[in-house]
Amino acid sequence: MMAVLGDPGRWQRRNYGPVVRPYAVTRGRTEPEVGVVLDLIDVVVATGEGAHDDDPARGTPEHRTILALCESQLTVADLASRTGLPVGVVRVLLADLIEQGAVTVVRQRPAGHRPGNDVLQEILNGLRAL
Amino acid sequence: MASVPFDGTSSGTGGELAPFKIVIGGGFGAGKTTFVHAISEVRPLHTEEALSTASIGFDDLTDLGAKRTTTVALDYGRITLTERVVLFLFGLPGQERFSFMWDEFSYGALGAVVLADVRRLDDCFASVNYFEKLQVPFVVALNCFDGAPKYDPEEVSAALDLDPSVPTVLCDARDPSSVRDVLIALVENISGGSGGTESR
Repeated sequence: MMAVLGDPGRWQRRNYGPVVRPYAVTRGRTEPEVGVVLDLIDVVVATGEGAHDDDPARGTPEHRTILALCESQLTVADLASRTGLPVGVVRVLLADLIEQGAVTVVRQRPAGHRPGNDVLQEILNGLRAL
Repeated sequence: MASVPFDGTSSGTGGELAPFKIVIGGGFGAGKTTFVHAISEVRPLHTEEALSTASIGFDDLTDLGAKRTTTVALDYGRITLTERVVLFLFGLPGQERFSFMWDEFSYGALGAVVLADVRRLDDCFASVNYFEKLQVPFVVALNCFDGAPKYDPEEVSAALDLDPSVPTVLCDARDPSSVRDVLIALVENISGGSGGTESR
C-alpha cells in the first residue's frame, strides 16, 4: 500500500525547534541593506520619530520590540540579550529602524582608542568598589 | 512599559552610556564561560550545547573530566560600574575553527584577558599571538583548577615568552572577587601606559 503523502500531522511528531527560523524575521537578510555594521557595544536610542504611527505594516513585532527597548540607551549586545534574537538579526532590524529615523546611533567606539586617564580611573574605582 | 532589569541605562538623566569592551580569550575549556558568569550582572548570552561526536578529534577533552557541553553562542557579561560606565565582557569561542569571529569581538576592545590552564598551556598560544598582533593590551590569567599543578606566574610568563609588560596573574574563575582582581590588573596595566601603544 502506498504511504499517505502529505499527512498533515506527520511533521509535528519530530522536534523541529523554533517554528520561525532566526533570519525569517529579517526576510532572509543577513546583513543590513544600508549603513555601517554596528559594533556589539555601539549605543542606540529611539528618536521618538519615524515609525511611531499605527501602521502595522511599518515593522514586524521584532522591530517594535527593539524600538520599545530603545526608549533608553542600550548597546547592540544588550538588545540581543533582552530580545533573545541573534546579534546578526538585531543588526539588520536596527538598520531598518535607523533608516526610518526611528532610532539613532548615539555612540560608536573607534577601534584602538585608548580612553583618557580619568575614564580609566573611573573604571578602576568602579571595579574596586564591586 | 517593559521592565528594566538593570540600572544605569536611562537616557533621561542626560548621561551618555559609556560602554567598554573586554574580551576573554583562551583555549577550549580554559574557563571563559565560568569567568564571565562569575562577575556578570546578567545571565550570559551563552548557549552550552552538548558536545556531539562531530567534535571528537577536534575538541580535546583530556583533563576536562565531565565537560560535555561547549559554547556555541556568545558569552556576554555586563558590569555596571557607574551611572554611565558599563563594562562588557565577551568570551571568544575557544575552538580554532571559530577564530573567524575573534576580529569582530575584539574590534575596539579596551583590553583582553587570556585564560590559561597550566595543564594545557599550548591551548592559549593562539589567543596570546592574536592579542600581541592586534596590539590589544592583555593579561594572562592562570585559572587554578582543582588538582592542577601549581606554577609560579613568572615561570608561565617565561614559558609563554611574554613581553615583560604583560602581567601574568593567578585566578579562580569561579570566584567573583578573583575575576574582579584580574580585571583590575588589566585596567591598571592599561592606565600605567606600558606597551607604548597610546593613541594620544
